[in-house]
Amino acid sequence: MIEIKKVNNRPLNLLERIYVWEIFKGFLVTARHFFVNLFCPGKIITIQYPEITRPLEHAAKRRTRHRLKMRANGTPKCVACFLCATACPAFCIHIEAGEFTSSQVEKYPAVFDVDLSRCVMCGMCVEACPEDAIAMDTEVIPGGVLKREDMYLTRNKLLQNMPGDPSIKGAANRLA
Amino acid sequence: MPKITIDGKTIDLPAGATILQAAQALGIYIPRYCYHPALSVSGTCRMCAVEVDKAPKLQIACATEIADGMIARTDTAAVKKARKDVLEFLLANHPVDCPICDQAGECSLQDYYMDYGLHKSRVAPEDKIQRSKHRAAGRYLVLDNERCILCTRCVRFCDEVTKTNELTVSGRSDASFIDIREGKSLDNDYSLNIAELCPVGAFTSRDFRFKQRVWFLKRIKSVCTGCAAGCNIEVHYNENTVYRLMPSPNPETNTWLCDRGRMTYKALQAGDRLRKAFVKKGSMEIEPAIRHAAHLLDEAARKTGPESVVVLGSPYLSIEDNLALAELAATSLKTSNLCLDFPREQGVKDGILINKDDAPDANGLKLLKARYAGLDQGALIELINSGRIKLIVAEARALSSLKEKLRELSNIETVILAVTKSDLDFESACVLPYAANFETEGHFVNYKGLLQKTTPSVAAPDGVKPLWTVLSKLSSCTGAPIRLEDAAELRERISEFIK
Repeated sequence: MIEIKKVNNRPLNLLERIYVWEIFKGFLVTARHFFVNLFCPGKIITIQYPEITRPLEHAAKRRTRHRLKMRANGTPKCVACFLCATACPAFCIHIEAGEFTSSQVEKYPAVFDVDLSRCVMCGMCVEACPEDAIAMDTEVIPGGVLKREDMYLTRNKLLQNMPGDPSIKGAANRLA
Repeated sequence: MPKITIDGKTIDLPAGATILQAAQALGIYIPRYCYHPALSVSGTCRMCAVEVDKAPKLQIACATEIADGMIARTDTAAVKKARKDVLEFLLANHPVDCPICDQAGECSLQDYYMDYGLHKSRVAPEDKIQRSKHRAAGRYLVLDNERCILCTRCVRFCDEVTKTNELTVSGRSDASFIDIREGKSLDNDYSLNIAELCPVGAFTSRDFRFKQRVWFLKRIKSVCTGCAAGCNIEVHYNENTVYRLMPSPNPETNTWLCDRGRMTYKALQAGDRLRKAFVKKGSMEIEPAIRHAAHLLDEAARKTGPESVVVLGSPYLSIEDNLALAELAATSLKTSNLCLDFPREQGVKDGILINKDDAPDANGLKLLKARYAGLDQGALIELINSGRIKLIVAEARALSSLKEKLRELSNIETVILAVTKSDLDFESACVLPYAANFETEGHFVNYKGLLQKTTPSVAAPDGVKPLWTVLSKLSSCTGAPIRLEDAAELRERISEFIK
């Protein structure tokens, strides 16, 4: 339900038209914040991001920076099927497939790049993945970097297992 | 002629036609795996079962000949159930490794499962029978027996089309699998057709393997210029890169496509692709190199007269490019030393497709010869060997084809036009690159005299232009332009040859 706020568009009265009193009222608000921040720092609403972050709640945890899961033997679970790149509305995933000759799983991502400066954090890649190989549960919020290259994640930067991994979910894991 | 009714629609077809063909003529689609219009009927997959009146059980549409008054139905509950059950059988031991399978996206198992199956598998993944995966099969193919549904299209192709009999079904009943016959290897000249024939991902192309998912590919129809056969092809490309060539069946030219033809796109991305011009072995930007070539032409004409310059046409070039070469000789250089005579032995070499003549446009060259005349090849060779010639302008492969007949070329300067370095057989004063057939439009006449047109699918490397543009620029630099600056002018000039 959208709330409707009615704006009172009555003409200004004399005091308001003089303006000085209204400016003074504005200064009072600023002064109040100044003294509250000065004497009770705990009540400051602003966070000094990225040095300080707020703990994420509920589903927000599931739309954070990507990671690629690994199998027990350290190889990426990803098999470079390109479904995430296909689902991605921002075209931020770049994959090049390679071929394992020794492993039973023939295909692996030789290159897997996520361009976080293009990513819209929609989570479609995670939904599309048939191998349970990509996740967005690192609880790192991308941004706040000084160099553009730092927003460009390559495969080795993405490979990361979290507590509870490696899992054996995913079709190709039967072969691994 | 027998009259058959399928799903209420009636059609007359000559005796001997099958229900599947009748349905196709009526626009009713019957799913199939083993049926292929160019191969014999085997009836192994059972996917095309339909209900026929007065028949005790379902009949397979691909092998049942039509009879007068026959009534068949493809939309009854029994047919739907049969399709679903057949799919469940075919998928019982299927590894469902679609994420790593190149066929995904153009796989009939995927398509039919979504259309007719949608069942839950009753076989747990760990209980499925495991077979050999990624087994190398010949030069171009990879065989995955787990994905195979034993439709035997590949076996029939090797038996009936190439008649090389490399493949067979080994083992019995549910333990049978596609195998390469002992002592044979799958290396016939048409082996990549098997990857295309395979309705699932059992045979995949090693060349295309893992390069690109098929749903990203854009398709455009064109003509293969690998030999004089002039096969119709479909170029599959994405983001300015050609990934594979497929046949585009045309009753006048081809059903299949040979391996060599499928690999012709490799020249586009080859490491020795010419992206810059070469002047005396040194790399140079194309524009200044064209000016240098013009300077060479002027020098030769000034010092020893225009008759000391020879221009060769080429059976490897399109009509457009040959026209530009002929015009260069007639208009710019004003020399009568133009040779458009390249007699070549033509005819189907192996009874399937591959032509004895590896040049795509020998007959197109004949059209131009009728208009521009020029020297016979014998006269040309005599002229060159006599030592009166100081400069040759030619396309690389055309000049190479005369290699054995020519004496030492070391005291003759050459301006050679080439696509890749490997085409170059001679040391040359000036090599100019031009756009390949996948990058520009061109008309070719095949060995039967059929005029066809290639369609550009990708862009040429930076600065590389079609040959007629290069020659037009070259002629402008010599001061007597042939005026082929844009496509409209070109179209007007070649219109008399492509009627």
